[in-house]
Amino acid sequence: MSNMAAIEVLNLYKSFGENQAVQGVSFDVSQGEIFSLLGPNGAGKTTTISMLSCLLRPNEGDARVMGHSIRTDAMGVKSVLGVVPQEIALYEDLTARENLSFWGKMYGLRGLELKKRVGEVLEVIGLLDRANERVGKYSGGMKRRVNIGVSLLHKPKVIYMDEPTVGIDPQSRRSILDSVVALKDQGMTVLYTTHYMEEAQELSNHIAIMDHGKMIACGTHDELVKLVGGQTRIDLTLHMDDGKTIDAWRDIEGVTHVAAENGTIAVLVNDSNIVLPKLFEAATNHSARITSVAIREPNLEAVFLHLTGRALRD
Amino acid sequence: MKAIDIAIKDLTRSFRSAFAIIFMFGVPLLVTGMFYFMFGNTAENGGFDLPKTKVIIANMDEGGPRFQVNPKNIPGGREADTMGDLIVSILESDEMADLIEVSFARDPETARASVDIQQAQVALIIPPDFSEQFADMEEGKAVIEFYQDPTLTIGPAVMRSILNRFMNGMSGVKIAVNVFIDEADTSDYAMTGLVVQQYLDDSLALSEDMEGELLDIRVPVSEQKNEAEQSENLLLTIIGPIMGGMMVFYAYYTGASTAQSILTEEEEHTLPRLFTTPTSQATILTGKLLSVFLTVGMQVIVLLIASRLIFGIQWGNFTSVILAAAGIILSASSFGVFINSFFASTKQSGVLFGGILTVTGMMGMIKIFAMNSAIANKMGDTVSMLVPQGWAIRGLMQSMNGEPFNSVLITALATLAWSAAFFVIGVLRFNRRYV
Ligand SMILES: Nc1ncnc2c1ncn2[C@@H]1O[C@H](COP(=O)(O)OP(=O)(O)O)[C@@H](O)[C@H]1O
Ligand SMILES: [Mg+2]
Repeated sequence: MSNMAAIEVLNLYKSFGENQAVQGVSFDVSQGEIFSLLGPNGAGKTTTISMLSCLLRPNEGDARVMGHSIRTDAMGVKSVLGVVPQEIALYEDLTARENLSFWGKMYGLRGLELKKRVGEVLEVIGLLDRANERVGKYSGGMKRRVNIGVSLLHKPKVIYMDEPTVGIDPQSRRSILDSVVALKDQGMTVLYTTHYMEEAQELSNHIAIMDHGKMIACGTHDELVKLVGGQTRIDLTLHMDDGKTIDAWRDIEGVTHVAAENGTIAVLVNDSNIVLPKLFEAATNHSARITSVAIREPNLEAVFLHLTGRALRD
Repeated sequence: MKAIDIAIKDLTRSFRSAFAIIFMFGVPLLVTGMFYFMFGNTAENGGFDLPKTKVIIANMDEGGPRFQVNPKNIPGGREADTMGDLIVSILESDEMADLIEVSFARDPETARASVDIQQAQVALIIPPDFSEQFADMEEGKAVIEFYQDPTLTIGPAVMRSILNRFMNGMSGVKIAVNVFIDEADTSDYAMTGLVVQQYLDDSLALSEDMEGELLDIRVPVSEQKNEAEQSENLLLTIIGPIMGGMMVFYAYYTGASTAQSILTEEEEHTLPRLFTTPTSQATILTGKLLSVFLTVGMQVIVLLIASRLIFGIQWGNFTSVILAAAGIILSASSFGVFINSFFASTKQSGVLFGGILTVTGMMGMIKIFAMNSAIANKMGDTVSMLVPQGWAIRGLMQSMNGEPFNSVLITALATLAWSAAFFVIGVLRFNRRYV
């Protein structure tokens, strides 16, 4: 039983009118691992998570969570599941303790057990000393921690975390990432979504890259990086460019992708030793000046660039 | 059990919001309190400021040979040679000065004409043989002509009431005079004046209660009651409906704003989160409905008791009040669920529900809010029945007026029917929304 997949996703489809938000996504998440859905905003991560938590009915396909079908056994799915929504979903006029206590009841906890779990969770999220303050008065990071705490109360076997680190300070982010690893160490299965490649890289056993509703790659970090082959990514900044330099770079032999974002140009090349001088030469020909160059180890951003022709960050 | 947890959570949130508390309890009690002090003060200072009734008198009384009174005993100290003079001096007395303004006409035509051209509201014509008829023990019939502007109600009613009192007193006088004359020597005719005087004093004493009685439509003030009690009763007959109206209006407001929390929770993402817990949709919706019902219920019960304690409003007998309150609570909660089920977002509902509640509330309580207008009264009877608020307040008014249990029950059942319809539609619409 222990080698049974915690989550099996079979060809899920979901569209909102004309907008095909999820188009045939399939993947398996093993028990006790951290599995990341990595993709830019609008890729369909939240829609996928919503279907897997029985909030949205798929147009097609099915999924099993600890063996419970999302189509036929929603209650079974919900009872093994903890969901950390992308948005903070708490009652701001109630205290952290009251929030946890209420949500604990919704997960079926009562009496002494509820009280004990609320105390434990408050300790885990480090808010024991401020537990009796209204959530509305908390900082963004503290709210995020309570938001996570709520879904831990009933000790779920599987936990979904939808972009839990968006919009918070680095310190809170660090503590959240640490707690995700701690959950895995306790034997929980974590389905994690993010658009930060570093997070996916740091946390995950397996990563699925999503774009435009489709899963474009899936595997371990190393497997994914191999997709880029021997390619290297070079990040450059240009001074006084009218766009012609970038066009010229695309035509250089050995350059597979060029993507510009916020003033930085990411170039994927087969061999940086051969290509780099040609990049300078082209810049000179168009009277532009390269002001910085960085040669990067192949990473998930390179993979995304390789697979989509676009940079991951939007 | 989880439904109750959801309701308790909502109640905690409502009662933690100062804004909600103010609207649920503060505003209705404050507004009623405002009326209480406004009317209470004038009631204590000798009644409401009614506009004085303008009376024009044509006193044609020629007197009778046997009529004599002792001038110094007559109110106003005027010497009265005739019965007509007596009436005039009473109407001119200080006691009447608050209520009426007297002027005189030379003849009946002039008096009637000044009513016709609305210079006066009432003309009193005392015929030439008034004293004579009065003194005629066997067949005499003393009649005063009462001529009024037909479009007016209150002023002439005040006058008529004064005169009725007076004439009632007078018929007593007449009987007493007859008895006196029968038993006395004819030379004692002068004594009749003293007898008349005694009765006049009585009837004037009565007329001091006049204002109270005239305005006190529903609670007839028994003459034995002291003045303080009377003005208190009078105050309550005005304050009661106002408090009732406030209560119904704000109960509906609470119903709508509590039911709006279904939309708010959706927007604040807590409703979707509830759907990710192993809690059925039916339980969640039941919990939300229960919280609307309990919040409105608390409000109505607290307001009923508070207004009883603060203002002394008598809401009626226990079972009637329970029925009327149940009508208000159920209809206000279900109406709140109903209208919110039509809104896509709180943005939409925020703009619309204030308007809807105000319009339907005014329709339902037109009689209370437009207190003295005859047109509003008539319109109110039909228009108010078109909205649930009309039925809710009707039940409460019936209970307050001590109407039979059956009438209260019928109104309560009608209110229940409204509630059931709103409830079913609201629940169906919300259910469809979240599947
Ligand atoms: N409730 C909805 N109604 C209509 N369109 C939606 C809804 N939710 C998501 N979408 C659309 O579906 C696509 C995928 O969105 P989402 O799953 O939220 O992406 P992600 O979580 O990866 O940022 C987007 O184009 C988004 O606009
Ligand atoms: Mg998302």
